[in-house]
Amino acid sequence: MNPQRKRIPKIEPFKHRVEVDPKFFDKSWKKLDDAIREIYNHNASGLSFEELYRTAYNMVLHKHGGRLYDKLAENLKGHLREMGKLVEAAQGGLFLEELQRRWADHIKALQMIRDILMYMDRTFIPSSKKTPVFEHGLELWRDIVVRSPKIHGRLVDTLLELIHRERMGEMINRGLMRNTTKMLMELGSSVYQDDFERPFLEVSASFYSGESQQCIERCDCGEYLKNAEKRLAEESERVSLYMDAKTADKIANVVDKEMLSIHMQRLFLMENSGLVNMLINDKHEDLTRMYDLFKRVPDGHSTIRSLMASHVKETGKILVTDPERLRDPVDFVQRLLNEKDKYDEIVSVSFSNDKTFQNALNASFEHFINLNNRSPEFISLYVDDKLRKGVKGAANEEDIETVLDKVMMLFRYLQEKDVFEKYYKQHLAKRLLSGKTSSDEAERNMLVKLKTECGYQFTSKLESMFTDLKTSQDTMQSFYANLSGDSDGPTISVQILTTGSWPTQPCATCNLPPEILGVSELFRAHYLGTHNGRRLTWQTNMGNADIKATFGDRKHELNVSTYQMCVLMLFNSTDTLTYKEIEQNTAIPPVDLKRCLQSLACVKGKNVLRKEPMSKDISDSDAFHFNDKFSSKLVKVKIGTVVAQKESEPEKQETRHRVEEDRKPQIEAAIVRIMKSRRVLDHNSIVTEVTKQLQARFLPNPVVIKKRIESLIEREFLERDKVDRKLYRYLA
Amino acid sequence: VSTNLTSRKAQRVPTKAVSKEIERIDQLFYTYADGSSSMIDPEGIETLCSHLEVPHTDVRILMLAWKMGCEKQGYFTLDEWRTGMKALRADSISKLKKAFPELVQEVTRSSNFQDFYPYAFRYCLTEDKKKCIEIPVACELLNLVLSLQFRPQVEKLINYLKHQNEYKVINMDQWMGFLRFCNEINFPSLDNYDADQAWPLILDNFVEWLRASEN
Repeated sequence: MNPQRKRIPKIEPFKHRVEVDPKFFDKSWKKLDDAIREIYNHNASGLSFEELYRTAYNMVLHKHGGRLYDKLAENLKGHLREMGKLVEAAQGGLFLEELQRRWADHIKALQMIRDILMYMDRTFIPSSKKTPVFEHGLELWRDIVVRSPKIHGRLVDTLLELIHRERMGEMINRGLMRNTTKMLMELGSSVYQDDFERPFLEVSASFYSGESQQCIERCDCGEYLKNAEKRLAEESERVSLYMDAKTADKIANVVDKEMLSIHMQRLFLMENSGLVNMLINDKHEDLTRMYDLFKRVPDGHSTIRSLMASHVKETGKILVTDPERLRDPVDFVQRLLNEKDKYDEIVSVSFSNDKTFQNALNASFEHFINLNNRSPEFISLYVDDKLRKGVKGAANEEDIETVLDKVMMLFRYLQEKDVFEKYYKQHLAKRLLSGKTSSDEAERNMLVKLKTECGYQFTSKLESMFTDLKTSQDTMQSFYANLSGDSDGPTISVQILTTGSWPTQPCATCNLPPEILGVSELFRAHYLGTHNGRRLTWQTNMGNADIKATFGDRKHELNVSTYQMCVLMLFNSTDTLTYKEIEQNTAIPPVDLKRCLQSLACVKGKNVLRKEPMSKDISDSDAFHFNDKFSSKLVKVKIGTVVAQKESEPEKQETRHRVEEDRKPQIEAAIVRIMKSRRVLDHNSIVTEVTKQLQARFLPNPVVIKKRIESLIEREFLERDKVDRKLYRYLA
Repeated sequence: VSTNLTSRKAQRVPTKAVSKEIERIDQLFYTYADGSSSMIDPEGIETLCSHLEVPHTDVRILMLAWKMGCEKQGYFTLDEWRTGMKALRADSISKLKKAFPELVQEVTRSSNFQDFYPYAFRYCLTEDKKKCIEIPVACELLNLVLSLQFRPQVEKLINYLKHQNEYKVINMDQWMGFLRFCNEINFPSLDNYDADQAWPLILDNFVEWLRASEN
């Protein structure tokens, strides 16, 4: 060695031959063999770990690893066969216990053996690619004990039998079960799955198949679901207590399938207890249970949803087409609102506000509300009723805001929103002109809601109605401020309405009494003085008057309509008038005049006139007398009423006709807009686009759209394409 | 499309034979024309028809009018007369009569028919500004113009038009629709008719009526 050069010391093997004792292996093995026997006999305390380890170590060192391994395997097999026999011999309930005991012994033994043979594990095993000691020990246990023909079947049967008994209500030894399944898991997940889990699931399937069959014959839907829920909880607990966690989903699927999925239709459709019955009777708890249980079942929720939707559609259809219900519009709408409340609650409480259910509900409501084409009118009447009366003292203590919000929900379902607009305008006009609205703020609130929903155009005319009234107030103030001369005559209060903003009414003739004429002409002069170029027309079919009347020695103040006033004033000069005279004097159209006279002469408690003869109908030959015998408990008597009512049949036709006429130009405008931008388009696309553009107001009829297109072709806005006659072309 | 218009350029100095022909054509014209208006008026046409041994409501007269490019129903002008007769190479009644079969063939060739068909409609518009013809007139015209090629359709269509009361007049768009209908739609099965396509509404109603009357 050269001291000047740095060299890493190297340890070299003996250069001389080392003599090996030929009996070395057998002697060493004997030591180990005996030790293992003691270990299996629970006598390990007397053994020296160090010595045994060293023995094994030396054996491996002397290249006896292979032989040692094989010997070990033989040895273990022997012990295992003995243990197997003991297990086989166990009687009845002791079988599992014995198995457990032997298993525990074996594990303990294996641990010690592994420790002893650790050197072999670490050196020989990896290089020879054999299974390590411990694992090999488990494999042998699996093959010799667990899967021994005499044990295997009995093991599985015993486990399943116990589970069955537990399912039938008996108490079993769960600890034992857990240990047994744990053992199987430790032997490998495929052992657990093949030897236990699969048969377990199969047996469970047939168990639940039978159980569900029995249960469904005996129970109603609610009870059945309770039972299913109970069983599911049970199985879940069972798994957590003595099975592998992965089995939880699998057994849940089995129960779901056998108890829920297979019988789903029958359950839902069960008479007197199924889904529909639960919905009708607001059985929230049952519904919640159903929703939760069927979450995992394929098509579970979708089936519930569609059954609910069709039920709602059906009951809704009955609601809106029942002629009894249609008599009172306010009641009609209230029922719709109640129905909505009911289902909103169900969705929120039982269906955890599931959006898909909410949507299905909305679709159903939209469907049936539009089955009755008077829905828009009725909803407007409902709002009218609420805005007149307010909601004080209502059965439910919601405030007006909440009520209007709910009404808006119904409004959204309407397909013919333009019809609603027409009616709302009419009803609003009547409310405003008769001063019958209970809260100005509520009115404006409603307008804001409509504007938010439909845009500015929807409400601009309505808003100008309010403005007109405010302006009228100002005008009246300035009129009376400027009025010089005697203020002895009747006072008037004029509401000036802008034509176009208010629902149009054709105005008929009417001769105002001279007392009124005077002051009204004064007003007209005043107004036109400040508003040049405008034209005022008195709407005598509207308006009311307060008249002081003396009947004998009783003084009353009568509140009457304009027409009624004209008639009554005639009786200042005479006590009796014939129908013809009245008609001539007042020039009121006969239909209105007759209605007016009826209200003055034929209504109990309001008969300020006496009719001769006393029949209910007015005929041309009737005569009317001032009824000085009229009496009333009230000093102020109201005779004229301007309450909005649902339209008579001819009025309804008239309104419907006007709505249809209004729609034509809207459709044409939409067609022209679309064609202007697209230039060339086929028929179907036009129909789709037009429908899309107008759907916020109404649903256009495809036949009407076609008619409008043809009209536009005739007027040379559009033409058919010369080459492909399926297309339309825009003509600039 | 029209084969009977002569351009100015084509007017050369006529040969003797040609000028004789023109003379004969003109002469023939004046035998029927009304002296004061120097047009053949409806009376004159009637006379012409009787000489031709063709009823004056016959479709061939309409085809003749088309060939001439007549603008006003019931009246032939000299120019129109010349145009037509020259194109038909006829300068006498007998020659004109002989020319009819070929004329019918020519018109019913589909390219010409596409032109003749709307012409027939326009010919019936009685006033300048009018754009529609009345239902009875439309029925007559359909019979005249289409029944040769499409008898079953035309029969049903005329029946329908007489029965329905939604439409009192037919416009050009609808008129053209009838031809398209006959050409494109399987009859009487109607299996390729699609009301969602751009067919005029009157045909949608017609098809509905047909289908309803079958049940």
